[in-house]
Amino acid sequence: MQLSATIRGTTWRFESVKEVLAKANPPKSGDDLAGVSARDAVERVAARAALSQLTMSELRENPVVPYEADELTRLVDDTLDDQAFRAIKNLSVGQMREWLLDTKTTGPVIRSISAGLTPEMAAGVCKLMSNLDLMVVGAKCQVVVRANNTLGLPGRMSSRLQPNHPTDDVQGILFSMREGLCYGCGDAVIGVNPATDTAESTAEILKALDEVTTRNRIPTQNCVLSHVTVQMKALDLGAPMGLMFQSMSGSETGNRAFGISVKLMDEAWDKMKRLGTTRGPNVMYFETGQGSALSSAAHHGADQVTLEARCYGFARRYKPFLVNTVVGFIGPEYLENGPQITRAALEDHFMGKLLGLPMGCDACFTYHASMSQDELECLKVLLGAAGCTYLMSLPVGDDIMLNYQSTSFHDIPSVRMLIGKRPAPEFDAWLSETGIMDGDVPGERFGDPEVIR
Amino acid sequence: MSSTRALMQVLRARLGAADPLPPPAPAPEIPPPPHYVFPSPQMMGRYAEKASAHTTALVGIGHVGTRYATDVVLQFQAELAVAHQAVATVLPEDWAASQGLIGLQSRVTSHRQFLLRPDLGRRLSDESVKALRDKAQKGVDVQPILADGLSAVACMGSGMDLLRHFTAACEARGWKVGTPMCARYARVWLEDEIGQEVGARVAAILLGERPGLGTGDGLSAYIVHEPRIGKTDSDRNMMSNIHARGTPPAQAAQKLAMLVGAMLDQRTSGVGLDLSSLAAELGDAAARAPRAPQQRVRLVEVKR
Repeated sequence: MQLSATIRGTTWRFESVKEVLAKANPPKSGDDLAGVSARDAVERVAARAALSQLTMSELRENPVVPYEADELTRLVDDTLDDQAFRAIKNLSVGQMREWLLDTKTTGPVIRSISAGLTPEMAAGVCKLMSNLDLMVVGAKCQVVVRANNTLGLPGRMSSRLQPNHPTDDVQGILFSMREGLCYGCGDAVIGVNPATDTAESTAEILKALDEVTTRNRIPTQNCVLSHVTVQMKALDLGAPMGLMFQSMSGSETGNRAFGISVKLMDEAWDKMKRLGTTRGPNVMYFETGQGSALSSAAHHGADQVTLEARCYGFARRYKPFLVNTVVGFIGPEYLENGPQITRAALEDHFMGKLLGLPMGCDACFTYHASMSQDELECLKVLLGAAGCTYLMSLPVGDDIMLNYQSTSFHDIPSVRMLIGKRPAPEFDAWLSETGIMDGDVPGERFGDPEVIR
Repeated sequence: MSSTRALMQVLRARLGAADPLPPPAPAPEIPPPPHYVFPSPQMMGRYAEKASAHTTALVGIGHVGTRYATDVVLQFQAELAVAHQAVATVLPEDWAASQGLIGLQSRVTSHRQFLLRPDLGRRLSDESVKALRDKAQKGVDVQPILADGLSAVACMGSGMDLLRHFTAACEARGWKVGTPMCARYARVWLEDEIGQEVGARVAAILLGERPGLGTGDGLSAYIVHEPRIGKTDSDRNMMSNIHARGTPPAQAAQKLAMLVGAMLDQRTSGVGLDLSSLAAELGDAAARAPRAPQQRVRLVEVKR
């Protein structure tokens, strides 16, 4: 295994696959904070050159956290699809990039090898790709999932409606929810981040959301994003839960900081399949984001892109209906500015799709990151063009509980019309029935929240 | 004629004319669009009015095409500008001295580094450790620390007000209060090293909180019992939203002193602190979860 490359007569040598993966990353403040990034632009390219020569087999044999030390590494390796792995194991990372970009490599072809890829392989290819490379391949990947309605079909882009409220005032939540629905938002999920993390409160909010979706016969699914153990208790209380949610990290220690493990998630999934209210078969919802492992000192000296891919290696076990990266939420110490947040969004979407997940993205910034509203609006269009399964949606993009800036109710129909996409088909039909949309243009009741009873 | 030129001629003929677009139709006078506005007490739609009793989310704002009305855009940009300005403002180096406070600084040396290196913002510079040893009273019950945090605007705004009220509330309870000081480029955990250095039983850092849309002037307070380097978030109690539209400084100071009292009595803080007997007086401050709702105010007024 060759871990060196020569540029203009200078040879760069690297100690480990983990170091090569980290130094091949484009600049990210979080990798600087972890002390794992390349010293300069030339070393970065040298690392990419070394990476391009490594084979898929070598990446499988050198996970960034050792098999003995981490249950996620064991989970990925023990459950990897042998046949799919054999098909690609001799390709180098550079060849893998070229094969993915080849127009003959269509979505169904990519799907046939997806289960043979480890997160380190997806992250490795990602580091050799430009933003447009990531978009071209991301848009080819096919991931179609079904809960009450169907997400990820060609020509479709969905949205999560996020009617958060700082004190869980149920009436306040419903005012935001109705406003969002009349702009055509909410086909992925109506999902509330609760201020109070109790089973009773989770059940109360779910019940209120369910009453509105039932009364108005809205084809979607509801979710309250409390901790998974709290949601399990809410299921016991008989809460009408459409999707079960949990945040994930890319290492066993990172997940411990989130209060979860493979065993706990297995139990939660099993319970949700029995007691959830959606038809499925996809009933789980996960959120991730670069930097989450480092923020709990659980990064094992690995870079944040590779650790992010490892979240997807965990998530795919549960055949989720939704996965999204909350890309700019974590703050400038991990993603400093517009270019870094944009790059991370496209990376995460690509890696997730490549690993077979229905990837969405919370394109967002906190007010202390160096990203402008214009840059954020551009990112939403890039994600739409890259085939992102869904974006978030909030009143004017302002989360009054979590204090950050995301996608707005108005952005969703704007991006859909720009790139010629429609909501999930079941929801699309409902929008036409209510008069909110008239085919692919706004209908008579567009923007009128009184249309929702 | 070359074959390319011939091909172009055929294509032009097929498209119908040399000018690919027909001349524009004459435009009649365009009436002003319907009046969409950002909801305010003077003017708001029925839905916005009903919603305002329950939420500060901007709903019932209408649309032009699929986008916002101009008034909404301006209001939104003003709110964004307030937040960004609060983050960008740097606390002047001589501000602490001008207020009669000991001036301290973390290991951070620039504003950009402050945003990118939270680890450096949690430790004192060598000069500040020395200043603390030279000037600060040791062995106190409570050490209040004013700091910039993520909003120097908030620190310079109502910071002194909160510091004075909090100090008075502590002294009224008979506690020995440490020398007043202000830390620059400070993160919450900086209170651990400062408190340890002066041998305080309780340390309380009062600092500018991460701005939200339209709100850059809020202060938060984080209090820890037996401050030592290595304490974590679960060891602290906090109160946020300290500003005129949230909890005013005078009122916040009383609640914070109550928290300190509970810590001194129970000799612990954070998740281990039992506040059940004080729940009624403390209100939001008894819950460890932050942020009561922000009240939204109209920022942009244009005279016609």
